[in-house]
Amino acid sequence: MTDQTVQPTPVKPVSRWHIDATDIARIAVFAAITAVLGLPGAFPVFGSVPITAQTLGVMLAGAVLGAWRGALSMVVLLVLVALGLPLLAGGHGGLSVFVGPTAGYLFGWIVGTFVIGAIVHAGGRTLTWPRTIVGVLVGGILVVYAIGIPVTALVLRLPIGPTALQATVFLPFDLIKAAITVVVTMTLVRAYPRAFRMRPRDRA
Amino acid sequence: MLTLYRPGTGWLHRAPAGPKVFGLLLIVLAVSILPSTWLSAAIGAAGAVVCYLVSRIGMVELGRQIVSLRWIVVVTFGFQVIFLPMESAVANTTRVVAAIVVAALLVLTTRVGDLLDAFERGLGVFSRFGLDPERVALVLAVAITTVPVLARLAVGVREAQRARGARLGVRSFVIPFLVVSLKHADDLGDALTARGVV
Amino acid sequence: MTGSITFSDVSVQLGDQLALDSVSLSLDAQRVAVIGANGSGKSTFARVLGGLVAPSRGTVSVLGVDPQRQAAALRRLVGFVFSNPDAQIIMPTVAEDAAFSLRSEKLPRAESAERVRQTLREFGLTDLADRAAHDLSGGQKQLLALAGAVIRRPQLMIADEPTAYLDARNSRQIADHLLAPNDRQLVLVTHDLALPLRCDVAVLFEGGRMIGCGDPADIVSQYEASLSC
Repeated sequence: MTDQTVQPTPVKPVSRWHIDATDIARIAVFAAITAVLGLPGAFPVFGSVPITAQTLGVMLAGAVLGAWRGALSMVVLLVLVALGLPLLAGGHGGLSVFVGPTAGYLFGWIVGTFVIGAIVHAGGRTLTWPRTIVGVLVGGILVVYAIGIPVTALVLRLPIGPTALQATVFLPFDLIKAAITVVVTMTLVRAYPRAFRMRPRDRA
Repeated sequence: MLTLYRPGTGWLHRAPAGPKVFGLLLIVLAVSILPSTWLSAAIGAAGAVVCYLVSRIGMVELGRQIVSLRWIVVVTFGFQVIFLPMESAVANTTRVVAAIVVAALLVLTTRVGDLLDAFERGLGVFSRFGLDPERVALVLAVAITTVPVLARLAVGVREAQRARGARLGVRSFVIPFLVVSLKHADDLGDALTARGVV
Repeated sequence: MTGSITFSDVSVQLGDQLALDSVSLSLDAQRVAVIGANGSGKSTFARVLGGLVAPSRGTVSVLGVDPQRQAAALRRLVGFVFSNPDAQIIMPTVAEDAAFSLRSEKLPRAESAERVRQTLREFGLTDLADRAAHDLSGGQKQLLALAGAVIRRPQLMIADEPTAYLDARNSRQIADHLLAPNDRQLVLVTHDLALPLRCDVAVLFEGGRMIGCGDPADIVSQYEASLSC
């Protein structure tokens, strides 16, 4: 590096898909958070009932990162799963989870986090309780079920009514996780406000 | 690194990752569109067995895969029997299980690194739409590196809370874990910037 | 050759806190130690130098470059080492992580492989080249972080409390690497008051202001005096 004449950095052509270093880190870390919350024993919410906290990570990704980054973090997680890392709850992974009866729920995570982020962050930087509650319920439960149930019905060749009925078995757990997500999100706003700031350089 | 890969030397192990993905997906697709009859149940099951035999993965591994799917089998079959005739219930369950175990052959015989490379090459197709394959590969690599780091952070948070006598819950585990993880994300962002990622 | 660092009337506002308060200085020394209490502004000073924080007011010049407006040029000239060894590992294995720093330089494959080999040897990491980076010890990870910065051949190395997470032996190893005779300029932010004595100049921060700059022994005594009263 002998040439010391330095030109001002030309304005980089920023493509539609451009994400900067801070985004890369946050997207990757939220994919990892969701994977770690799926590890057995990560977080025993319901005593001995083997329900994992993985969907908690899904809902939090949208609520914290916002629509695009949240959805991308789910895409990253699912690509890693497809490439064979056992990152889904119970140590599942590989292409096979995308051809099984629960595949629709996984795709639902992507759309769901996007919807959560879009609703929760609709008012800019200030998060409100009502919007967070609506966002998590609509994106985290309604959207995910709306995609998950038809795919299950399709894969198992079952009528959609009974399939939906079967899915409601998990509804109470998902409602509890939605409630936890709302509380955690509103607490994080105070405990780590930086996470919600979109300007990457506002930090010491 | 955590992986589902089973080391081996059969031809499927040696096959290049890209064509292997396409080949296996083709078989999975074929199995998935079988009609719900006794005959297709037999074809699906036979197909899975043949795939495991010719790829030299063997019946032991097939058995292990099916055991790991036992809950899917039980729930799928049990639920179907209520609403559908026995023939459809058996055929559908067999079809789904066969598709899953055939798809599993990919990760059983291919290293994650090779799949990542193949994936990055495959993304090249999308570069004309403004997608930067190198950047996508970077996000994936950072995520892979971060999983074990966060798993260790989670253990640390858990031990710290136990030492304070706290029961693990939302306030004592989830929030501290998220705060250290997000702090980690910010540090990682700085490190990426400092090393030339813009 | 040593470059130069100039701050004129630089302030940094972070949230509702003034992290740097009208700092003006000009540094030409090869090895600069930066000391001060937690929250004194020394870390913010390093981050402004490294282009990670934008000043709210004032102008900064690092080796003739404005860190904000000429970010790409700055990246080529400046290496940065942080405190937390875990947060600096980016790629899965040691060799891949070291090579990652060369990505933006677009070197021929053979040359970049040779530079990786050479740098890993310099830091005693050759035998660990194919190991998973997260399996290394804290000290080894920090050596790798340093290797990842040095491999780019920066003219200025900024180290923000690089030994904060390490034990005495590893701290010493990292410090020896940073302070070994070379032609890089070094800005070393540290709480270890033995290290400034191995530098040419020390700078003392307090409450966001620079309150001392000069001979390391004098500045360290000034800092110690302020602690005892």
